[in-house]
Amino acid sequence: MSIIKIEDLTFSYNEDTEVLKNVNLEINKGEWVSILGHNGSGKSTLSKLIIGLLKASSGKITVDGELLNYDTVHSIRRKIGIVFQNPDNQFVGVTVEDDIAFGMENLGIERNEMISKIQEFSKKVNMIDYLNKAPHELSGGQKQRVAIAGILAMGTDIIIFDEATSMLDPKGRDSVLSFIKELKNQGITIITITHEMKEALYSDRIVILKEGKVIADGTAVDVLQDKKTLNSSNLELLLPLKLIYHMQEQNIENKEIEEILWQLSLIK
Amino acid sequence: MAIKFNQVTYRYESANNDFYDAISDISLSIEDKGEFITLIGETGSGKSTLVQHMNALIHPSEGEVLIYGIKVNKNTKKDKKEKLNPLRQKVGLVFQFPEYQLFEETVERDIIFGPKNFGMSEVQAKAIAKEVIVQVGLDESYLLRSPFNLSGGEKKRVSIAGILAMNPDILVLDEPTSGLDPKGRDDLLNLFLSIHEKLNKTVIIITHDMNIVYKYAKRVLVMNNSRLVFDGEPSVLFKKKNIEEWNLDLPDMLELQYNLENELGIKFSKNPNNIEDFLTEIKGAK
Repeated sequence: MSIIKIEDLTFSYNEDTEVLKNVNLEINKGEWVSILGHNGSGKSTLSKLIIGLLKASSGKITVDGELLNYDTVHSIRRKIGIVFQNPDNQFVGVTVEDDIAFGMENLGIERNEMISKIQEFSKKVNMIDYLNKAPHELSGGQKQRVAIAGILAMGTDIIIFDEATSMLDPKGRDSVLSFIKELKNQGITIITITHEMKEALYSDRIVILKEGKVIADGTAVDVLQDKKTLNSSNLELLLPLKLIYHMQEQNIENKEIEEILWQLSLIK
Repeated sequence: MAIKFNQVTYRYESANNDFYDAISDISLSIEDKGEFITLIGETGSGKSTLVQHMNALIHPSEGEVLIYGIKVNKNTKKDKKEKLNPLRQKVGLVFQFPEYQLFEETVERDIIFGPKNFGMSEVQAKAIAKEVIVQVGLDESYLLRSPFNLSGGEKKRVSIAGILAMNPDILVLDEPTSGLDPKGRDDLLNLFLSIHEKLNKTVIIITHDMNIVYKYAKRVLVMNNSRLVFDGEPSVLFKKKNIEEWNLDLPDMLELQYNLENELGIKFSKNPNNIEDFLTEIKGAK
C-alpha cells in the first residue's frame, strides 16, 4: 500500500530552470527507499516538497491518503519527520529533554504524557542518560539521534533522512545507520537521501534522480549493479562490484573469486 | 619549517567556570612544501581548534605556535593586524561551513575580497577569479550570481575558490568534500592533489572519510580526546588496535583486501592502491 504518492511533480525556482520534471513515485508503507543522484539533481528539493516546505509548480503529492495543499500541510507534517545534514541546525532545545519536547509542545500534548514520551523515546535512541546535557556536550551522532527521538515522540511514522550521516564521524555514522535499520524493522517508512553507496545497500529500493528526472527505480541490489546509470549520475560502484566488472573487461576468469566478490558486494 | 607547535594547549572556559582543553599539549611541525596531510579524529576531538591555530585565528592558552617565524602565544595581541594578516595569506583556511566565509553580493566579489585585501589590484583579482572558478569545477557564469542562491556543494566550491585566489603556500580545508557526490568529491581531491604536485604546496585536509586518508595522504594526524595520538604514514595507521581505540574505520581498499585474503587463504604482496593492484593479486592467486 503506498503511503506517499507523487504524481507528475514539477518544480522550478524560476521560469528557465526546472529542478524537478514530471516526477512520478510511489513509496510503500514500511519501505526503506534511498534517493540518490548528483549534486543538484533535485533530491533535497523533492524532500522539501514532500513535507510542504516548498510548493510544487504542478503535480500532486498524497501522503497517507491526504492530498498535500495549504489546508493539509500541518496535518501532513505530523506524519513526516525530516532529519537534516547538519546536526547543529536542527537542535532547538537548551537540553536534550527540551529538544525532544519541542515538537510535542507545538502539538499541545499534555505535560504528563510528554514526560513519559521523553523517557520512552530517549531510551529508544540510547540518549536517556543525556537528558540534561546541552548540545555542545554531544557528538554529531548523538544530536542526530535526539532529532529522531523528537520526531518519533510526535507519533510520526515516515522519516526522511536528508544526508543525515554525511557530517558524522565513523562511530556516529554507524550509530545512526544501525538505528535507521531498527526503525525500518519496526515498520517506520524510511526515505534516505545519500551519496553513500554502502548506506544505500541497506535500503529495499533505490531511486536515482538525474537533472530532475527519475532515471532508475528498482531494488537496491539491481540498481547498485547498474554501472552505466551510476556513472552517468556521478555515482560510484561498490568496490567489490567494480573489481568484478574490471575482471570481466580484462577477461580474467575466476569463478571462485567472482562468487566471493558478489557476496562481499551485496551482503548487508 | 613553516609552522611549528610547541606544547600548545587551548582552553575554553564554560559557563559554570569549568575549564575544558579543546587541544592539549600539542607539538608538531609542518613544512610549506610537499606535504599532503589528512587530519582525522572523532567529532569534538579538537581538529578544527588545531587548524585555527595554523594561521593565528586563535591563540594558544599555553605553549606557542611559530608561523613563518612569527611567534603566537597567549600574550600575542589580537589587534596586531599588520603582523598577523600576512599569515592569513600564506596559510589559507577553508571552513567546514562555507556560509561562514561567503558574505558578498556576487560570487566574484567574494572571490576577489581576499586578494584585494592583500594588496592586489581589482583588475588582477578579477582575472584570477576567472581562473579559480573554473578550477573548482564551476563556470564563469557563476561569478555574477549571488553566493546565497547556490546549493551547498556550489557554496563549498566558491569558498575554496576564494582561498585559492590568495595563492596560499599552505591550504587547510575543513571537510571540503562532505555532502558532495562521488564525482564532485574526486574532482576536488584531484584539484588539491594537482595543487600539491604541480605547485609543490602543502595541503592539509580534515576528513572523516578513511578512503581519502588512504588514497591521498602522505602523512596522517589523529586527534583523540584533545591530544595528538598519531603522526605518521597511513599504511602504519590502519591497524586493528588503532581503529578500535580511536573509533576510525577501514578504508574500502583495505577492507576488500582483508576479506579476500581471509576467503581465499592468500596474502597480498602489498596493500592495494587501485583496481589494477587487486587484479594483479587475483591473477597471481589463480
